[in-house]
Amino acid sequence: MEESKKTYKTGMPRLLELAATKKPLVILSVILSSLAAIANFIPFIAIYFVIREILRVWPEFSNLNISELMKFAYMALGGMLLNVFLYVSALMCSHIAAFGTLYELKINFASHLAKVPLGFHIMIGSGKLRKITDENIEKIEQFIAHQLPDIVAAFVAPIVMLILLLAVDWRFGSAAILGMAIAFAMQILLYGKDGAKEMMAKYQTSLEDMNNASVEYIRGISVVKAYKQTVYSFQSLHKTIKEYTDMVIPYTLSWENPMSMYTTLINHIYLFLLPVGILVGMNTTDYRKFAITFIFYLIFVPSIAGVLMKVLYVNSDVTRIFNGVEAMDKILSEPELKQPIHPKTTESFQVTFKNVEFSYKKEEKIKALDGVDFCANQGEVTAIVGPSGSGKSTIAHLTPRFFDVDSGKILIGEVDVRDFTSSYLMEKVSFVFQDVFLFKQSIYDNIAMGNPNATKADIESAAKAAQCHEFIEKLPNGYQTVIGTKGVHLSGGEQQRLAIARAIVKDAPIVVLDEATAFADPENEHLIQKAFEKLMKNKTVIIIAHRLSTVRNANKIIVMDQGKVIEEGTHNDLVAKEGKYAAMWKTYNTTSSWVMNDKEA
Amino acid sequence: MEKTRKEPYLKNAMFLTDKGYKDLKKAIFACTITNFSMFIPASIMLFAIMEIVKPFNNESISWLKLWGLFAAGIFGFILIFICNKNDYKKTYVASYLESKNTRIAIAEHIRKLPMSLFNSKDLTELTTNMMGDVETSEHVLSHVYPQLIANGISVTIICIMLSFYDWRMSLAIFISVPIALFIIVASRKIQQFLGKRHAVAKLEASGQVQEYIEGIKVIKACTLDGEKSEKLNNALLNMKKLAIQTELGSGIFVASSQMILQAGIGLTIFVGTTLLAGGQIELIPLLAFLLIVTRIYGPINVELQLLPELFYHQIAIKRMRTLMDYVPMEGKETPIEEYNIEFQDVDFSYNKGKEKTISNISTTIPANSITALVGPSGSGKSTLSRLVARFWDVDKGKITIGGVDIKNLDPEHLMGYMSFVFQDVVLFNDTIYNNINIGNMNATKEEVIAAAKAARCDEFINKLPDGYNTLLGENGNTLSGGERQRLSIARALLKDAPIVLLDEATASLDPESEEHIQQAIGELIKGKTVIVIAHKLRTIAKADKIIVLDKGEIAEEGIHEILMMKKGLYHKLFSIQQESMGWSV
Repeated sequence: MEESKKTYKTGMPRLLELAATKKPLVILSVILSSLAAIANFIPFIAIYFVIREILRVWPEFSNLNISELMKFAYMALGGMLLNVFLYVSALMCSHIAAFGTLYELKINFASHLAKVPLGFHIMIGSGKLRKITDENIEKIEQFIAHQLPDIVAAFVAPIVMLILLLAVDWRFGSAAILGMAIAFAMQILLYGKDGAKEMMAKYQTSLEDMNNASVEYIRGISVVKAYKQTVYSFQSLHKTIKEYTDMVIPYTLSWENPMSMYTTLINHIYLFLLPVGILVGMNTTDYRKFAITFIFYLIFVPSIAGVLMKVLYVNSDVTRIFNGVEAMDKILSEPELKQPIHPKTTESFQVTFKNVEFSYKKEEKIKALDGVDFCANQGEVTAIVGPSGSGKSTIAHLTPRFFDVDSGKILIGEVDVRDFTSSYLMEKVSFVFQDVFLFKQSIYDNIAMGNPNATKADIESAAKAAQCHEFIEKLPNGYQTVIGTKGVHLSGGEQQRLAIARAIVKDAPIVVLDEATAFADPENEHLIQKAFEKLMKNKTVIIIAHRLSTVRNANKIIVMDQGKVIEEGTHNDLVAKEGKYAAMWKTYNTTSSWVMNDKEA
Repeated sequence: MEKTRKEPYLKNAMFLTDKGYKDLKKAIFACTITNFSMFIPASIMLFAIMEIVKPFNNESISWLKLWGLFAAGIFGFILIFICNKNDYKKTYVASYLESKNTRIAIAEHIRKLPMSLFNSKDLTELTTNMMGDVETSEHVLSHVYPQLIANGISVTIICIMLSFYDWRMSLAIFISVPIALFIIVASRKIQQFLGKRHAVAKLEASGQVQEYIEGIKVIKACTLDGEKSEKLNNALLNMKKLAIQTELGSGIFVASSQMILQAGIGLTIFVGTTLLAGGQIELIPLLAFLLIVTRIYGPINVELQLLPELFYHQIAIKRMRTLMDYVPMEGKETPIEEYNIEFQDVDFSYNKGKEKTISNISTTIPANSITALVGPSGSGKSTLSRLVARFWDVDKGKITIGGVDIKNLDPEHLMGYMSFVFQDVVLFNDTIYNNINIGNMNATKEEVIAAAKAARCDEFINKLPDGYNTLLGENGNTLSGGERQRLSIARALLKDAPIVLLDEATASLDPESEEHIQQAIGELIKGKTVIVIAHKLRTIAKADKIIVLDKGEIAEEGIHEILMMKKGLYHKLFSIQQESMGWSV
C-alpha cells in the first residue's frame, strides 16, 4: 500500500505560511507596523527643520518665524503620537490574527488526530500530543502577534534611517553608515567564527546534561534515600552543575570584548562624523548650510544606537518557535487511516486472521506478528495466551484496525477490515482495555456514548448488567453525577465497570477484551468478572488472558510465542498435548499455590 | 533555624546568598558608572556644537579645538569600552556563580526532605523548581536587575540635575517615565484580572484537549473529530475570545507605555521649540536637552520590555522559597538492637484536620517473622507500612522499633535498617551492575553477582549484549516488568537490611516471570522481619500474623486458620478471591 507522507516547509517559510491563515489581518498589521517605524523618525526631521529655522536668523531671534517654528513642534509631537497609534493598531491586528490562527491550527490538529490510526496514539502517548497542542502550537502566537510586526519594523527602520542619513548629506551619511557597518561586520565575523559555533554546541550539551541529571536526581531520590545513597546521585548532579558553570563562564567571557566593543561602537558613531565635519567645514562655501547639517547629524546619530539594539533583540526567540512548529508538522504529516472508496458491510461476524504480518516499527527485524493464522468463530470465545512480548496484545490492537497489517489480512465475515468505513467498523467492534477513559460529564452521558440512540431504560439495564447500578445510585446525583467533580471518586474497578456498561449499551457483535488483571481489590474483581459475563453473551469474543485459569473453558485457546501461533485447541486438548501450553499451565498452578515463607532452608 | 538577623530587602526579595547580594551591589554600581560614562560623548558633542555656532556670534571657529574634541572622543571611547567590559563581567559572571550556588543549595536541601514529599508532590514540579526557576533567576540577575536599578539611579540623578537648569524642559523629558511606569503598574491589576480569566479559559481548553486526546478511542468510535466535538470546539473558541480580550485589554498597555516613553522625544522638541519661540531658552541649552533626550529612552525602553520577566521571576522566587521552607526531618542516630515494631494508638491523616487515613491503631509486628497487611483498597495498608519508615510522622500515638520511638531517629539512619520492594521500580540511567550496587556501595563484585543470582536476575542479565555492563535506558524501559521487579529485589538483597517492607505486585505476569519473582522474594525474606502488603491472600496464608484493615482501623488480626474460623472480613475477602481465581469464561 502506498503511504505518501505529507511534507511541510521548515523554518521561516513555514511560519509565514502559517501566518497567512489570516492573511488580510497579518498584512495590515505588517503595513501598520512599518508605517509606525517610519513615523518614529518624523520628530528627527522636525529637529532638522527647527535647527535650520533658528540658524537662518541667528543671532537676530526677533526675526524668527514663530508660526513656522510651531508647525515643526507640532510635527514632532504629531509624529510621535502617530507612531504610538500605528504601532498599537498593528498589534491589535496581529493579535486578532494570531489567536484566530491558533484556534484554527488547534482544531485542525485535533481533527487530524482523530483520523490517524489509533495505533499511532498508542505509540506516541497522550502526554506528547497534549504538549504539542497546548505548548508548541501556542508559541506561534508569539510569532504572529509580536515578532512578525517587529521583524518587519526592524527591517524597515534601518532602511528609512539609511535613506534619511544619505538624503540630507551624503558625506555625513556615508560616515555614519561606515560606523554602523563596522559595528555589524564585527558582530557577523564573531558569530561566524568556528570557535563560536563549537562553543554554542558545547553550551547546549552541558545545559542539557544538567537538566537530565536533575530530572534523574528527582526521579530517583526516593530510591537513593531508601538506600542511604543520596550522595551517589547528588554527586553526579553536582558534577553537571559544576561543568555547566565551568563551561558557561568562559563562554560568556569570550563575548566580553566583542559585545562591549559593539555597544561602545554604536554609541560612538559621532566619532566618524567629527573628522568628516571638520574637513567639510574647513572648505565649505556655505557655512550656514554646513552648520545646520552637521548639528542635525550630531543630534540624530545617537538614536541609531536604540534602533540597532532592537535589531539584536528581535531574533532571539525564533528558534524556539521553529522547533514548536516542527513538532506539530511531524504529527500532521502522519498519514491518516485510509478509507475505502467502495465501503462494504457484513452480516456475519467471525474474525479471521490470514497470514498476518506486522511490526510496530518498519525498521525492526523482529516482527510483532509473523504469519498469524486463526479464526475466532462467531458467538464463541477465543482466548489468546502467551508470555509477555509474544504478540497477544497486538492481535487485540489489529482487530479494530488500530494499525494496518504489513501483509496478509484480517476479515470480519468475508470482508477485509480495510473495506469498512471507520465508523462502521467501530460500530461492529467493542473493546474494553485496561486503560479506561471516562469523560468529565455525567455518568449517564458516559454510558450513552456507546450508543447515542439508547433509551434511559437501556442505559440502566446496561449499568445493572455491568454491576454499576448499585454504586451509581449511591452517588450524590445518581446517574447525573459528573465525573471528576469534587467528592466524586470512583475506584479503578468502578471505572472499569462503567466502561463495560458503555460496551454493553453499544451491543456490538464483536468484543475484544483485555482481561482486567488487578488483584488489588478482591470484591471489585469479582464484580468485573460478572460484568464481563454479561458483555460476552452471544458475541464473537477475543480475550487476551493473563491468568490461565480464566480461559480454561474458552471454545478455543490460541497460544502465542514470538509472534507466531504455536498451539491451538481447547484447554483439555492442549494439556494432553504436553507442549508449551501444558508447561505454562503447570507453572501457573505452582505459582498460584505459592505461599510466602521465611522459614524454609 | 529562626532568621533573627534582618535581611536587606533586595537580598530577601531576590532570594540571594550573601555573596550573590554583594555581587549584585557591585554589578549595580558598575552599571551606574557605565550609564554616567555615556555622558562623555554627549558632552563632547555639545562642545562641538558650541564651537560650530561660534561664527554666528561673530566669533571665529577653532578647527584645532574640534580636532582636540575628536581626540577626547577617542579617549572617551576607550574609557567607555572599559566600563562596558567591567559591567559585562560583573553582571554575567556573578549571576552564573550565584545560580550555581543556588542550584547546589536546592539540590542539597531536597535530598534532606522527608520521603513523603517525593510521594505527594509532582516530581516534574520539583525539577522545574530546581532548574527552570534558577534559570529565570540567572537571566534576571544578568540581564534585568542591575541595569534596571542602575538606570533608576542615573535617571533620577540626571533628572534632578537638569531640573536645576531648566525645570520645564526637564519635565518634558521625564514626564513620560512615570506615566509609562504608571501604565504598566496600573495595568498590572487589569492584566491580572483579565489574565486570570484567560488562564481559566486556557486551563479549560487544555483540559478539553487532554480529554479529547485521552479519549480518542471513544472519540473515534463516535466520530466526533475536530469541530464535531462540541465541548472541545467551544472551549477553544472561548479561549480565542478571551485571549483577544486580554491582549487588547492589557497587552496593549505595555506596548503603549513603551511608545509613550518614546513620545517624550516629540514632547521635548515641542516644548523646546515653544520656549525658544518665546525667547525663554537659548539655542545651546536646547540642543543639550535634545542630545540627552535622544539617548536617554533607549536603555529605559529595553528594561520596560523585560518587566514581564520580573513579574515572572517573582513567581519563580515564591516557588523556590516554598521549597526551601520545607523543614527537613531530623533525629538522632540511636542504634536499634531489636526489630519488633510496636504501634501505640496511632492516628494519621494526609491533610491535618481532614478524615483520618489511619485511626487508633495499636498492634505489634514481631521480629523475625512475616506480618501481612490485608484489606480492601483504600483501607490504609500502604500508609501504615510507610509510616514504619517515617515517610511521615504520626499525628497521635507512636511507633517504636526495638523500643526506640522512630520520631527521634534520623530518617536516613532509620532507612539503614530497612529494605523496600515496591511496585513502582525506579531504575537509573546507568549500568545494570551499578543499579544493583546502589543497594550497598561497599559490596564486592562477587556480592553483587551473588545478589543478582539469588534474585533470579543472572540469567536475563547474561543474555543482554554487555551483561552486567549493559546500560539501561531512561528508567530501564528496555526491561520487562518482571525483570525490573527482580532487579529491585537484587538491590534489596544486597542491602541485607533486617526489616523488609514488601508491596506485592498486583499485575499478572506470565507464569514463568511470576515463578522467578516468587523465588527471589523467598530469598529476600529469609530470617527477616517482614511486613508485606498482600493482594493475593493465598500467598500469605502461612504468615505469622495477619492484620486486616478496614477504613484505617484494624478489623481483625491473627493467623489464617483463626481468621477463617471467625467468618469476618478476612474470610469474606479470601472466599471472594478464591472464587474469582477460579473464574473462567
